[in-house]
Amino acid sequence: MYLVAHIDQAICSETACRLCTQYCPEANTILYDNAAKTAFVAVDRCKGCEICVGICDDLAKHHAIKMIMITDLKSTFELSKEGFRPDKWDGNHP
Amino acid sequence: MSVKNISITPGWEKYMTKEYLDLVERGPYGKQKKVSEMGSFKEVLEEHPMCAGCAMTLFIRLTMVGLPNPEHTVLIGTAGCGRLALTQTSIPFIYGNYGDTNAVASGLKRGLEVRFKDQAKDVVVMAGDGGLADIGFSAVMHSWFRKERFTTIMLDNEVYGNTGGQESGMTERGALLKMAPKGKMFEKMDMIGLAQTSGVAYIARLTPTNPTRVASVVRKAVLIAREVGPTFIQAYTSCNIEYAIPTPKVLDDARDIEAKRYGFMEIISDEAKAYLDSIDTAKKAKK
Ligand SMILES: Cc1ncc(C[n+]2csc(CCOP(=O)(O)OP(=O)(O)O)c2C)c(N)n1
Ligand code: SF4
Ligand code: SF4
Ligand code: SF4
Repeated sequence: MYLVAHIDQAICSETACRLCTQYCPEANTILYDNAAKTAFVAVDRCKGCEICVGICDDLAKHHAIKMIMITDLKSTFELSKEGFRPDKWDGNHP
Repeated sequence: MSVKNISITPGWEKYMTKEYLDLVERGPYGKQKKVSEMGSFKEVLEEHPMCAGCAMTLFIRLTMVGLPNPEHTVLIGTAGCGRLALTQTSIPFIYGNYGDTNAVASGLKRGLEVRFKDQAKDVVVMAGDGGLADIGFSAVMHSWFRKERFTTIMLDNEVYGNTGGQESGMTERGALLKMAPKGKMFEKMDMIGLAQTSGVAYIARLTPTNPTRVASVVRKAVLIAREVGPTFIQAYTSCNIEYAIPTPKVLDDARDIEAKRYGFMEIISDEAKAYLDSIDTAKKAKK
């Protein structure tokens, strides 16, 4: 069991500043849903470093990201299963 | 320049991995992507085993976004942490022996110029401070003296991270490390000064605190190396393991070190500046 970053879509979509996407050390891990205007996390890529939490809290000042036990997530998005397909995930990601 | 060399031969699509198909269709080819678009395009970097929260990983990720033509780039790396990610990109990677990177890059760049007279190929060395300032030092210096046209990027974590914490020439004086238990006794090497003395066309020192700046510095360095002469980027990319930085604090540390001693600086030759200006003018004329 381990922690992964989880983004509150309701808070994020208010501004969708896209700052966390630029500071996560891992490639294509915080992705962007153009239809819902929110960032979201590919849990299979997240290494749980919490850098994005600091970016959203202190730089963006939006407090949209929390670390959550992977087993407590109701549904998850995995890039290795889904592939990089914004046309499919826009408006439909978990 | 053309993206033909990454496209798939018709009929072979079904044999290619999903990752490759995504790259061809939604990757950073044809038109350079912006840092602000990250999350909306397929990056050339895949999963890799570098540590969680490593600043070097972030820097490598941003470097890949800054490359002006990833489809025409060859990366050279060596032993050290960075190659763990550099080998997981869709860009050809050559593993130079520890110490050899800049000699390998010199030969490769010259060979590519002979082989591809009609295409500019970019050669980029990315290696650690130990790899470039200690063991590869003479190859780095001589590639600069010979004015070899490629980019050298030093991933300066100020330690030998991959082998458990020995001091390097780039470690700060007094730094305590597992294998420098009394603290390093000598000053950090002045690679920026040495690059200047050697006539490097573009020199930059920075940290990963500003992603757009990282990508822009990389773009400039690669373009200048294509036409003008050697370029050098020295990037503070902390090792959170050997310096015991909790991962949520990695960027606070980078901001702190930047403010206290690392800063952001660029040194550009007149010729290099004129070349960049000519690219901008041509771009504006096109619009
Ligand atoms: C000729 C040679 N000597 C020693 C080594 C062992 N070695 C592997 S990685 C490494 C240190 C890497 O330190 P650095 O270049 O600073 O990169 P970092 O791991 O810190 O990113 C050493 C000494 C080697 N691979 N080859
Ligand atoms: S930093 Fe916060 S508000 Fe901005 S895109 Fe990321 S999660 Fe959304
Ligand atoms: S916890 Fe780290 S790896 Fe996971 S999404 Fe946030 S910044 Fe990326
Ligand atoms: S050992 Fe240090 S430099 Fe190497 S991947 Fe881990 S944190 Fe990064």
